[in-house]
Amino acid sequence: MENWETKTEEGQDPEELRPGQAAPEEDAEQSGAKLRREASDGRDLYLNMRVLVVMMGAFVLLFTFVARVIVVSGPSMENTLFGGDLILVWSAGYVPKQGDVVVLTQESYQEDSIVKRVIAVEGQRVDVDYGVGAVYVDGVPIEEDYIKEPMRLPGWGEGINHVTVPEGCIFVMGDNRNDSADSRWPDIGIVDTRCVIGHGLVVLFPFHHWKGL
Amino acid sequence: MGLMKKSVSGRAPWLVCALAAGLTAAALRKWQLASAFEEGTGLAIPMAPASVTLACLLVMAAAWFMILTTYQPVSKRPWSVGQAHRWDLVFLDAGDPVYPILVVLAAFVAVASIPFLLKTGMGQWQAYRAAVKAHIQPPSNNGILAMATAAGALLSFLGLLQMGRDGLHAGRRGKGGFAAALPGVAGCVWLMGSFRAHAANPVRWDYAPQLIAIVCGMLLYMDFAGMSTGAARPRRLLWLAAMTAVMSAPALVSAAAWENWADVLLLTAQTLTAAAVLWRLPPNLENPPKLKRTPPPRQPGEASIQEETTDE
Repeated sequence: MENWETKTEEGQDPEELRPGQAAPEEDAEQSGAKLRREASDGRDLYLNMRVLVVMMGAFVLLFTFVARVIVVSGPSMENTLFGGDLILVWSAGYVPKQGDVVVLTQESYQEDSIVKRVIAVEGQRVDVDYGVGAVYVDGVPIEEDYIKEPMRLPGWGEGINHVTVPEGCIFVMGDNRNDSADSRWPDIGIVDTRCVIGHGLVVLFPFHHWKGL
Repeated sequence: MGLMKKSVSGRAPWLVCALAAGLTAAALRKWQLASAFEEGTGLAIPMAPASVTLACLLVMAAAWFMILTTYQPVSKRPWSVGQAHRWDLVFLDAGDPVYPILVVLAAFVAVASIPFLLKTGMGQWQAYRAAVKAHIQPPSNNGILAMATAAGALLSFLGLLQMGRDGLHAGRRGKGGFAAALPGVAGCVWLMGSFRAHAANPVRWDYAPQLIAIVCGMLLYMDFAGMSTGAARPRRLLWLAAMTAVMSAPALVSAAAWENWADVLLLTAQTLTAAAVLWRLPPNLENPPKLKRTPPPRQPGEASIQEETTDE
């Protein structure tokens, strides 16, 4: 076992470690008071810093595994979400369901995540009819009171508009159908559920946009 | 119980277990990279054997090191006559060069990451400015966090140098915590930058080990700092050092595979620091530093810092 006394004789502060010499009692009392004062100040500062560091670590791990906050960019989800809206996204154990607003990343389209609404899940048949401006899931027109305006044929053509969603995938669309790159566009297409980061729960900011999703 | 305590005394159990777990985790991460992700998309294959095995290993390592901390002999009262008032000199051993060598090496490895971080940050900043000027949607990462991480790496360098010096030469008691807190606080910026870089990545295995490793490293540095400030958690510090070493191993494999050299260097730096702690702390906890000076008399009703704050 290392012997502290023998190994610290050289190069040490003589005030602190004078071998074999005890400090006078008065000096020890003053020194003790100073040490206690320093300990108190340093301890408070340290504890505050530690709280900050622990909170930072906890927040990042929370955002990684449980929920996160993202900022909406672009008009594709108007009038449900607007550019600059801050939304809370739930990740832990989430399984996409029809009608949910989801955050996903489709790297064939872009590296940043996008926000869309789930129109159909695995096994369902999707038919987009631009003639009447309706979307059919399993032959039944879905009620879409959330879309911004009646759907028109996109400038890039019909794209993917008649498809059965494969296993483990979802078909997504933006609520602003006429200004949204979504599953109809071949660059995005049918989305693997593993690309889904989470489910949009609520708009947090700005406060006048606050609502559940 | 006494036999068990005797059998886990010293640094050997910590170093051997951390090394074994770290190397195994690194090997499993390599296996996972080769077999647990779909070609083309890079999406994780659910319940891939490599992923399950790696997750189990990390959980078991955490549990095993918890058990080791329970049986780590720790001197009862560093406040007693002839011993340090606080535990701020517990990393001191003037006759042992291993600890300062590891910590000073960690300092230089950390500072070596700065050019890589600046290059990444400047590149991202220029891409961001170009997109803004062209009135197209700018990338979400503007490079500020990478440059802030470079500044943090410089702070870590200074802090680690002082920590290494304190291992050979006793500085002012109670001041060592400031140096150790610098890399801890700098880790916050690195953590934010790492999270931001992967915020849109749906494959958690790509970045979660690194985030956990950074958090372990931050808490390691903060607990190191706590040894000087009357808020010592020696057993937790040992556990964090072991987990920092183990969690950094798979993160290092990922960072090297993606040629992210700044993360490789920063992860190496915290692994070296963790190794230094595992080298020096266990024997010094059993035989705390002794000072020649008489400690101040305790006031009536005053509890010792050790009694207040440690997990004895």
